[in-house]
Amino acid sequence: MSDRVLLTDELRARIGETATYTAPEPLGRAAIRYFAVAVGDDNPLWTDRSYARDHGFDDVVAPPTLLAETNQYMPGPRDADGFLGHSWHITIPDTRLVRGGNAYSFAKPAGPDTVVTATWRIADVAERTTSAGMAMLIVTSEARFTDQHGDLLLTNTETLVFTELAPAADGGAS
Amino acid sequence: MSDLPDVEVGTEVPALERTIELPDMIAYAGSTWDWHRLHYDPVYLEAKRVPAPVVDGQVFGALLAEQVLDWLGPRASLRTLHFRFKALVFAGETVRCLATVTAVEPDPDGEGDLVTLEARVEVVGDRGRVAVAPAGATVVVPR
Repeated sequence: MSDRVLLTDELRARIGETATYTAPEPLGRAAIRYFAVAVGDDNPLWTDRSYARDHGFDDVVAPPTLLAETNQYMPGPRDADGFLGHSWHITIPDTRLVRGGNAYSFAKPAGPDTVVTATWRIADVAERTTSAGMAMLIVTSEARFTDQHGDLLLTNTETLVFTELAPAADGGAS
Repeated sequence: MSDLPDVEVGTEVPALERTIELPDMIAYAGSTWDWHRLHYDPVYLEAKRVPAPVVDGQVFGALLAEQVLDWLGPRASLRTLHFRFKALVFAGETVRCLATVTAVEPDPDGEGDLVTLEARVEVVGDRGRVAVAPAGATVVVPR
């Protein structure tokens, strides 16, 4: 068991903090096809304009999870780990950070002309205890993606989980 | 629509199986502007004591969306998708996406049906394990 508390007043005070980014250009036809090819998703809705039109769309459509996933809207530069995406820069010593999961809610399809704005918000920071009795902190972020008309495209709720590392058996630093 | 599959509670969506090799991971990293070293850099991985490049977990969301939309056709639209990570997946491993219909009801916001699915992603082979669960989706299918 551990008596460590990960949820500090400083972290608690950050609930509600937001960060907003607007892409400098439309999503683009190549970005849509790049994602589809990378995933291996050969649905012609993503790449064939006439097929998409035959099925009620104005143009090719972005695969649903692309907008939640791309960091195209970020200005850069990348960080030392190579990461370009939005970060709250929460670091907690002697913990391991893993992604918990994602929940997407889709409102409107995006296409090559979509100019996305992403608004991230710290929705919650909560302390839990693992089954092994170690302290665990769950940071829940909500991202809202809108287009240049102000229409909601989708929301993404994602969790980051910081888990306290067990002390090394020999008592030494890891 | 006559070209739609039978959709009722208990129907299993045809499984989607894919081997994710390092070039696929590089391509996904490029296409999402996510260049984190965890997904390809052997020096970084060795320092972190991670045995092999780690597949970006959000790929499994993309695969679950592909599986469900391939099955329900181009007029279906994904309304929600959620997934939680259970285990890391490494370069070269093969995953299988599994999904089952758990509810079919009139869409309260439209004229179609709202299909609810429960899903998971497994790693196949001799190191088989559940990679993603619980997971699920809701899809609107026009009548």
